[in-house]
Formats: sequence, structure tokens, C-alpha cells
Amino acid sequence: MEQILVNGAYLGAQYALIALGLTLIFALMNVMNFAHGQMYVLGGFVTYTIYGQLGMPYALALFVTAITLAVVGAVVEKFLFRPVIKRSQRDESTMLLAAGLGFFLDAVILLVFGEKQRGVPKLINGVFNWDFRVIMPYDRILIFALAVACIIGFMLFMQYSKTGRALRALAQDRDAAQLMGVDVDRYGMTGFALGAMLAGIVGGLLVTITGVNLGMGGPTSTKAFMMVMIGGAGVIPGAIFGGLILGFMESILLSTLASYGDITYLVIFVSLMIFLAIRPNGLMGKPWG
Amino acid sequence: MLKLENIEHYYDHVYALKKVSIELNEGETVALIGANGAGKSSILRIITGLNKPKSGTVTFQGKAINKMSPSQIVQAGIVMVPEGRRVFPYMSVRDNLLMGAFSRSSKTEIKNSLDQVLERFPILQERYNQSAGTLSGGEQQMMVIGRALMAKPKLLLLDEPSLGIAPKLVAEIARAIIQINKEEKVSVLLVEQNSRMALRISHRAYAMTTGSVAISGKSADLLEDDRIRAAYLGGEV
Ligand SMILES: Nc1ncnc2c1ncn2[C@@H]1O[C@H](COP(=O)(O)OP(=O)(O)O)[C@@H](O)[C@H]1O
Ligand SMILES: [Mg+2]
Repeated sequence: MEQILVNGAYLGAQYALIALGLTLIFALMNVMNFAHGQMYVLGGFVTYTIYGQLGMPYALALFVTAITLAVVGAVVEKFLFRPVIKRSQRDESTMLLAAGLGFFLDAVILLVFGEKQRGVPKLINGVFNWDFRVIMPYDRILIFALAVACIIGFMLFMQYSKTGRALRALAQDRDAAQLMGVDVDRYGMTGFALGAMLAGIVGGLLVTITGVNLGMGGPTSTKAFMMVMIGGAGVIPGAIFGGLILGFMESILLSTLASYGDITYLVIFVSLMIFLAIRPNGLMGKPWG
Repeated sequence: MLKLENIEHYYDHVYALKKVSIELNEGETVALIGANGAGKSSILRIITGLNKPKSGTVTFQGKAINKMSPSQIVQAGIVMVPEGRRVFPYMSVRDNLLMGAFSRSSKTEIKNSLDQVLERFPILQERYNQSAGTLSGGEQQMMVIGRALMAKPKLLLLDEPSLGIAPKLVAEIARAIIQINKEEKVSVLLVEQNSRMALRISHRAYAMTTGSVAISGKSADLLEDDRIRAAYLGGEV
């Protein structure tokens, strides 16, 4: 049992970080970024290249990954989403754009990095073993700690920095934020860059454990979308809860349902549908325009 | 100080403003009165840059501002308290007030403004760490006026500050507007459907009907004007 909970927390922390990025972009731009999983994969490949291929320090690789994805996010916002939002009255336009961007990133990743599964050298060796009740390799513990640190860092940034306050204001009332002098273009771009950066960081973290491959993008986008729906779209604590809930569900169901075959995701999807029928706004969904 | 010339505006081919010209001198409180749908909010949204006029010009301190972005206009010194208050509901009173100072950078000056606002509206001190969404309508109205003052505006635009507020608090807000104009030397453009209150606390006024200015003049004179009494003051004495 302890093992299942530890696995759940480990998964949940990564998921929460992915969901935070997605929910931030949604709260600010009203855009469901269906390319989020592809950004995560791209982050994994950047870390793979710098740490795995070039043999540079992991910390540097993670830093470059964060910067790269932030730039990708900023460019995508400025040249794709912003013009479409300005011209189109319909939410569907940005959904299509996001889905298209996902396919585009898949193609770019295929061209640049190929379709093979890629792994990197282990960060640290050794396994933590508590009486055979909890067994956890040290590198997983490190990655878990890094993910938690990123979540805390992000929340402190949103709560206490001037930029974070402006981003929250923009999400809560776009007109009022502008009337306080917040430049929507600039802060929309900042938010998009931050969201993409979070996705990239998770890719850079998880490539050291599970490796990375092209096929992970789509499913990760779907999972991120689910977590945000569970927690409530556009709400920061919602994203964290959604991530943790999905992480724990996966870890618990994978072990308890193992004997019934590969039905974990079927059960998760069905429970999500029932849950959303009862609470369409998710756990803490607030009507944030 | 502020000059609107021949402003025209329409939404989806429906005319909202027809050749509106309005002027405000430094130090004045000018009222803009008129029924629901007359176009008062549209004028304020054009001044703040949230909407762009289809034609006409807006000048502020001799500079055309009708092509500037809302954030540039805030930097220039025009700050609006929007209709319906528009608090940031999930932020604390403190964070709402600090958002007001977003366009400023000196920490000590911001702190001074914060102290002044809390002194002017002591209720905000009591509610300081509460979410703004949990405040009463009157408290929210004081908070958003305080939030606007945090920007240290030269010109304050108020869109129906008495809307949906208990009568006792309306008097308090009216008093605050007079003080802000007199003591802090902030010029005020006050939009109101509560015409009597607006005419009492303003120097001059413009009365609007469906998209254009019908009557303008000194507020004291308008209070005695028969046309104004009939159309805007409900015919009472
Ligand atoms: N966003 C909008 N879209 C379409 N019509 C609008 C919009 N905002 C205002 N209008 C119309 O413009 C006219 C003026 O509205 P407004 O400026 O809000 O008047 P007021 O503030 O005096 O009540 C009204 O007829 C209103 O229906
Ligand atoms: Mg109005």
C-alpha cells in the first residue's frame, strides 16, 4: 500500500506540473492548448540532446530546456494564437489551431529527433529501500523533489511577484487588468511562455526516468486535459488537485486492476465522465471567463 | 485637459455615439448624465482605449490618445473605475489595491498611496486580507475607487459609482469624490444615472440622449433647468 501511495505522489507531482501550465494558458487566453503534450515531448528531447548526447551537466540541460520551451511558447502565442484570437469570434478557432500545432510539433520532432525511444544516463544510482515496503530508486526521488520544488516555486511566483499578480488579474478580469495598465499582449505572451516552459521542464525531468519518444505527445495532451477538467479549468489549486488525483488513480488502479487486464484507463475515463456529469466545472471550477 | 471632438462610434452598425464633443479642464469635476443606453460607458471606454472610436479625436494634455493602448493611457495619467466595479474577485483587497499601482515603480511612493487609501477608506483596512469577491457592493465600490487612486491618476473616470449601492453609502462615496477632487487635485469625469447626486457634486455637466449631448452647462444651472428637471431629475422639485 505504501508503495502505491509513493508511486501516486511521484506521478501526481509530474502531472500537476503539466496541468499547471495548461491551466495557466487557459485562464489567460481561453485557449485549450492541445499541443501541450507535444511541448512536453519537445522538452524531453532538448534535455536528451544536451545531457544525453552532448554530455553537458543535467542542470544546464534542464535550464536550456526551460528557456527553449519558453521561447517556443512566446513565438507560438505571438505569431499564431494572438492573430487568430484578434480576428476570430469563436473559441473553436483556437482549439483547431492548438490541435494543428500539436500535429506540426509532432512532425518537427519526427524530422529532427526521429521516431526512436531515447533514454539518457541515470542521474544517480542506487535504490531507497524501506523494509521492502517502499522501494524507490534515488533518481526518482530526486525527480520527484525537483517537480515539487517547481510547483512551489511557480505558486510563490504567482502569489507574490508583480508579474504573477498581473497574470492573475488578467485571468480574473481582462478589462479591469487593462485599466490598471497591464499590457494584455505582453502578459498573454508571458503566460503562454510560462505554460510551455512548465510542460518542457516536466519533459526534461521525466526523460531521465522513462526516456522520451514521439508517441508520448498525444496521450500526454489528453491526460493534461483530463486533469484540468477534474480540477476545474483555469484554477491553480484545481490543476494541482487534478494532477494528484490522476496520479493516484493511475497508481492505485494499475495495481488493483492488474489482474483484470489493461482496463485502468477505461475505468478512469468512465469515472471522469460520470464525475463531469455531476460537476461540470470540476472540483473547484470557477466561472473565469 | 481632456478634449473629445466629434467622436462617432457604433457596434455592429448600431450607432452608439453621434458627433460627441466633450471638454474637461484641469481641476474640474464634470458629470455625464443620461438614461441607460445613452452612450455614457461607451465614451469612457473610448477615453481609456478599451474601445477605438470610428472617427473623431481624443486629446489629453495636448496629445492625441485615441490611437494609444489602454496601458499607455494609464501611464499618461487617466484611470477608470469601470461600471459594475469589476473587482478581481479571487484576489485579496491588498492585492487588488497593489494591482492599482501596477503602472508605478517606486516602492516607497506606492506604500504612501496605500496608506492614504486605507486612511480614506478605513473599512478596507478591516477587510485587507479578505477576497474582494466577499465584500459588500459598497465596500467593493470603495475598494475600486481606492484601486484607481493607487495609480495616482491626473484624471479619474468613474462609471456609475452609485449603481446598486445602499443610499447611506452613496452619500459617503459622493463625499469621497468631492474630497479626491479638492484635496488630491484629481480631475474627475463622473458618469451617473443618479443625476441629482452627480449635478450636486460636479462643476459642469453634459446631459446625453441616445448617443449625443443634448444639454450642457454649469451643474448648478442645470439643477434649475426645466428641461433637465423633466428629463433627468424625474420632474421632482
Ligand atoms: N459591446 C457592445 N455591443 C453591442 N452594443 C453595445 C455594446 N456596448 C454598448 N452597446 C450599445 O451601445 C449603446 C450605448 O451603450 P452604453 O455606452 O453602455 O450606454 P450607457 O453607459 O449610457 O448605459 C446602447 O444602445 C448599447 O446597447
Ligand atoms: Mg453604462
